Amino acid sequence: MAFNEPVLTKRIPTPPFGSFADRKLNTYEDFVRTGGYESLKKAVAMEPSDIVEVVKASELRGRGGAGFPAGMKWSFLPPQDGEPRYLAVNSDESEPGTFKDRMLLDFDPHLLLEGIAICMKACQLDTTYIYIRGEYHAQTKILENAINEAYANGIFGDQSIMGKVNDRFPNCYVHRGAGAYICGEETALLNSLEGKRGWPRIKPPFPAVAGAFGRPTIINNVESLAMVGPILLNGPQWFKSMGVGRPEGAPPQVPASYGPKLFGISGHINRPGVYEENLGITVKDLIETYGGGMRHGKKFKAAIPGGIAMGVLGTDQYDAPLDFDIGKKFACLGLGTAGVIVMDEDTDMVAALRNIVRFFSHESCGQCTPCREGGNWMYKTLCRIEQGDGTTKDLDLLLEIAASMGAMPGTTICGLADGANWAVRTFINKFWDEFESRVKPSVERVIPLAVVQ
Amino acid sequence: MAWLTKNSGTMQIERREEPYLDDALKAKLEAEVIIRYPDRRAAMLPTLHAVQHQVGWLPLQALAEIGAFLGVAPSEVMDTASFYEEYWLEPKGKYVIWLCQSITCELLNRESLMQKLQAKLSIKPGQTTEDGKFTLMNVECLGSCGTAPCALVNETLHEDLTAENLDQILDALE
Repeated sequence: MAFNEPVLTKRIPTPPFGSFADRKLNTYEDFVRTGGYESLKKAVAMEPSDIVEVVKASELRGRGGAGFPAGMKWSFLPPQDGEPRYLAVNSDESEPGTFKDRMLLDFDPHLLLEGIAICMKACQLDTTYIYIRGEYHAQTKILENAINEAYANGIFGDQSIMGKVNDRFPNCYVHRGAGAYICGEETALLNSLEGKRGWPRIKPPFPAVAGAFGRPTIINNVESLAMVGPILLNGPQWFKSMGVGRPEGAPPQVPASYGPKLFGISGHINRPGVYEENLGITVKDLIETYGGGMRHGKKFKAAIPGGIAMGVLGTDQYDAPLDFDIGKKFACLGLGTAGVIVMDEDTDMVAALRNIVRFFSHESCGQCTPCREGGNWMYKTLCRIEQGDGTTKDLDLLLEIAASMGAMPGTTICGLADGANWAVRTFINKFWDEFESRVKPSVERVIPLAVVQ
Repeated sequence: MAWLTKNSGTMQIERREEPYLDDALKAKLEAEVIIRYPDRRAAMLPTLHAVQHQVGWLPLQALAEIGAFLGVAPSEVMDTASFYEEYWLEPKGKYVIWLCQSITCELLNRESLMQKLQAKLSIKPGQTTEDGKFTLMNVECLGSCGTAPCALVNETLHEDLTAENLDQILDALE
C-alpha cells in the first residue's frame, strides 16, 4: 500500500502533505483537538496484557536502531512483586545522521507522552525517565513544559486517568544526559540514569529483569513509543497494511518490516530533512521524491543507510530498499535509525571514513580493549592514508583490526566496536579502488642472498 | 615508573569560604530533583548540571560538596563528572562555541568554518580567548544533520551556518 496518510507526522507538516515552514509546536490543546489521547482512553479501558498483545500482533519493531520487536520486549517483564518498575525512554539521539526523534520532541511531544502512558499501563510501570541527550537544550524545555501540561490534565500524577499503575500514581520525569554517545546504549543509559559513568553493563541480566536501580525496566526509543498510540487506535492490521512485511518465503518467526518510519536525509541533497514513508522505500526514491534530488546536479556515489554504524551502500546500491532486511541483502549492518547520509561523486571516501572512525574512537567508553585501542589505531592509520603516507599493507591492517572489533561475539560488552567494524569493512570493500589509489605499494625488503650467507 | 604515584591523599585543593552548592540551591534540588529518584546518587547528573549552571564550571571544592550532599565520596563524583564531555573541570569562556565535526557537517564544509573561527578568535579548538569571552570546541554530532553545518553556542543551536551568518552570530554576542 502506498503511503497516503501521515501517521507520526500527522501534526507535523511534512512534504508532500505540507511544508516545513508550517511546522509549529503542538500544545496539549492542539493535540487533543486533533484526536490526541484517544488512544490512551482506549488503553485505560483495556486489560494490560491485551495492550501488549495488540502491540505484539502489530509486529512493531524498535525504531532506535536494533529493530528488536517491541511487543516481545514488553513481554519479557517478570510478574509484579509490589516493588517499583521503570520505563526508560531512550532520547539520547547521538548517532551522526540521525535527527528524527528531535523532530517529534520539537513539534509533537504529546505523541510521545501518550505512547509512554500506554506503555506504563500495558507493562504496569510506575515511573518513567526520559533520558534526553545534554545537547538538546531546547527540546528539554519543550518536553518539560509538555509534561507539566500532561500532569495538569490528568495524564500523569495523582489525578491520572490511569489511576494507580503498579499500585503507585504514575510519574514521568526528564533526565538530561551530559554529552556521551555511549549513553544511547541501553545499559549505559541505565548507569547514567543512576548517576554513574555511562558504562555499558554485561548482559544478562537484561534490563527487563534487572534494569534501573536493579528493578525491571523497559527501554524504548522515542519513535517506537510514539507509534504505539496510533497502533492501538487503528489496530494491528492497519499497521501491517503498510511496509514490506517479511522477505518472501520466510517463516513467521523472522521479524518483518511493517509500518511507516521516519527517515532523516542529510548530506549532498537539495532538501534535507525528516520525512515519513513506509518501510521498504528505496534510497533512490527517498532522494529523488523527498530529498529534492542530488545537490548541484551531481551524481550519487554512496549513502549510509541509518547512522554511521551501519556501514555504507555503494554506488551500485542506489536501488536498495530501506527495510530491516537491508543488511543481509546489501552487505551492511542494517537499517539502524534510518538517518540516511547521502554523498555525491566528489566525496573523498578516505576522509569520510576517517571522520567516522574518529567518531567511534572518540566515543568509546574505554572498558573493552578491542574498541578502546582498535578505534584509535584505525583512526591513526586512516589519517596516514589520507595524507598520502599509507601503503597497501595499511588497508589489510585496517580490515584485520576491524574484524577483531566486535565481529567475534563476546569480545566487547556492547555493540559500539561492531559499528566501527562495519563502517571500515564496508567502506574499504565497496570502494577498494579508491582506497587502493590513495596508498603506495608495500615493498617487501629483499635481502640479497650473499648477505644472508 | 608508572607504579610510583604521588600520594594524592595529601593533595590540597583550592577552597573558598562560601560554598558553591549553597543552601538555596540545595533546597531547590531537594524539592524538585531528589524526590524523583529512589536513591540520592541518581540525582548526580542533574546536580552537576545545576551547580555548573550557577558557577560556570565545576571546581574540586564543588565536587566535594556535591559528594557530601548526595552521600557519596568526592572521588565518585569526580569519577562521574570526568566521564561526560559537558562538565567543565576547569574554567571556560563566557561563550562556548561547539562546532559540530561529524560526517554530515564535514561533508557540508564545516572545516572552512573552523578555519574561520580559529583565525577570527586567534585560538585553537580546546582553548579560550585571552579576554575569557570565547572557548572554541570541536564536538561530535549535535543532531542537526538536516540543517548542517551547525554549532551550539552555550545553550543555543545555530543551524545552516555560512561564513556570513557565523560572523553575525559572533558579533551579536556581548
